[in-house]
Amino acid sequence: MAKTLVIQPVTRIEGHAKVTIQLNDAGNVDTARVNVIELRGFEKFCLGRPVEDLPRITPRICGVCPWSHHLASAKACDAVFGVEPPPAGKKLRELCNSIAYMEEHILHFYFLAGADFLLGPDADYSIRNVIGVLQAAPDVARKVVKVRHMCAHMLEVLAGKAIHPQAAVPGGFSKPLAPAERDQLRKNADEALELAKFSIAFAKENVFPKYLEVVKSLGVITTGFLGTVKENGALNLYDGKLRLMTSKGAYQDFPYDRYTEFLSEHIESWSYLKFPYAKQWGEGFSMDVENPKGVYRANTLARINVCEFIDTPLAQAELEEFRAKFGRPAQLTLLYHWARLIELLYNAENAIRLLDDPEITSTETRVKVTPRAARGVGCTEAPRGTLIHDYTTDANGLVTNVNLIVGTTHNNAPINMSVTQAAKSLIKDGKYDQGVLNTVEMSIRAYDPCFSCATHRLDGKLSVKLDIFDADGKLLGSLAN
Amino acid sequence: MREIDQYSESDLPDFCRKPTVVLGIGNILFGDDGFGCAVVDYVEAHYPVPEAVCLLDAGTGVRKLLFTLCLSPARPERLLILDAIDAGRSPGEIFEIDPAEIPPVKLDDFSMHQLPTSNLLRELQETCGVEVRVLACQTGPLPEEISQGLSKAVGDAVPQAAEWLVRKYFPCATAPQADLCPSA
Repeated sequence: MAKTLVIQPVTRIEGHAKVTIQLNDAGNVDTARVNVIELRGFEKFCLGRPVEDLPRITPRICGVCPWSHHLASAKACDAVFGVEPPPAGKKLRELCNSIAYMEEHILHFYFLAGADFLLGPDADYSIRNVIGVLQAAPDVARKVVKVRHMCAHMLEVLAGKAIHPQAAVPGGFSKPLAPAERDQLRKNADEALELAKFSIAFAKENVFPKYLEVVKSLGVITTGFLGTVKENGALNLYDGKLRLMTSKGAYQDFPYDRYTEFLSEHIESWSYLKFPYAKQWGEGFSMDVENPKGVYRANTLARINVCEFIDTPLAQAELEEFRAKFGRPAQLTLLYHWARLIELLYNAENAIRLLDDPEITSTETRVKVTPRAARGVGCTEAPRGTLIHDYTTDANGLVTNVNLIVGTTHNNAPINMSVTQAAKSLIKDGKYDQGVLNTVEMSIRAYDPCFSCATHRLDGKLSVKLDIFDADGKLLGSLAN
Repeated sequence: MREIDQYSESDLPDFCRKPTVVLGIGNILFGDDGFGCAVVDYVEAHYPVPEAVCLLDAGTGVRKLLFTLCLSPARPERLLILDAIDAGRSPGEIFEIDPAEIPPVKLDDFSMHQLPTSNLLRELQETCGVEVRVLACQTGPLPEEISQGLSKAVGDAVPQAAEWLVRKYFPCATAPQADLCPSA
């Protein structure tokens, strides 16, 4: 009889999800789905509120990536009010973004994905966790924890608080950076750069070669990509234009406030999470692993693929080496980890560049704003992918419409495709063990998903539902909470 | 690599260095989920916090703090988590939980927001030698939609939880407006 395996929860990703793998009569994988079970509902919550409140509210969507929501929201407010922040205001925002990225990427590489790489996917579940990493590589862990703490401290200096930030405001940044503070942060940034350099060298020597075969075979799918670039095509994580690249490498650029002309959202009955796809390609939507339609990916690998170059020297050198090995666009899913470390290096260099800019200590960090009826779109590259905040206000500046597309949402279809591919390649004739199932989970963790951010249409109930079908399509049972 | 791993204890955040750490966790925009944060606010407003205690509104960012804590060369002796959970009790009921007592099968679907740190708390207690306790408050009915503010039952429990916390975790401070303990 056909059998359903359930892996729940997918640990060490932010938020919670459930993977359902259905086997056929022969014991091979029929379908595999990542079901998202945590709900939010912030879009509706925001309606009727003064739009200037949203940069303070939206970071509460998730405690893991508050800065991305904070900055995208502030940018959307700029657009609603029709203002352009002063150069220092923009640079302080971008500096905070780079520091928050470093903290996030370090967390993911060393402690979320790191347990798989440092301990191995077959390691006993009881030690394949953050403590296991500490015991396996205590010297590395000590370096990492110091720099993570330092990044949090840098954000406190810049913004007053690292958790639930409030410093970015419509029209700019509320707190100028004092020269003495800049000098302190500059030393911290040097240390962060050292860790970034160490991390990518460490991974290239100790991690990636060991898992190269896994990288080449696990979760491999072929899709397009979405990311942000500057006008000259350089990688940028705070501002620029969106670039939508096909799986063949052709691309179109567009201003982010025109995203609805290029992207649309597909709905599946078994998931609360929508499935964005490239409407512009005119091929519809399909998650068929062999022949996907309209599917693109966001997050680190996407950004590394869509950019022409990186305008900091060390990261550019790494990009050139990466492209020489894997081409452009690179498709192997586990290369997200490699791309993440290139971005870590870029952000460390970018933080130093911004701190060395004399304009960063200007006291002109914001302009005044006046409520009006308008629509405004803000977009940043969150660590997990392109983040879009789209607000509309009435004449009093009260919110009448909100749409959020978060990074993980862009990757919903690719995550499901990667899990399907991974499951089909690893589970044969009904044979599986815990190591195999964790390897399937690895293909999810490569995307660094944050499901708690991604599910934002709330109907009031938790959506855990498990349907069990046999090979003939007969419903054997249905479980729900 | 340059010697970035040489740092003094003063480089560590308060929540690693102080003997006692109290974290209020949850989302203040998610109804009763904001209980832990509300208790922290209440304590800060009504009691002096001893020097030996780190009292933090960790909000929804608690995972980051606990990751750092797990890996820190210095850790508190005692960690108290203030959280709202759904354990089938009466709304507003306050009770203590030892992370070791959480059944393994319930580690990650334990509450209305899946007590997000349950694995880390267990690891801190069992592997890192930190005495970890959770002071939990039973939530009211789940809101149909996300909404700000505590229900009356849970709101009424905030002063009670604050008093319990101060008695048990604040040396020398036994009543509202008590002086700071000079030797703490």
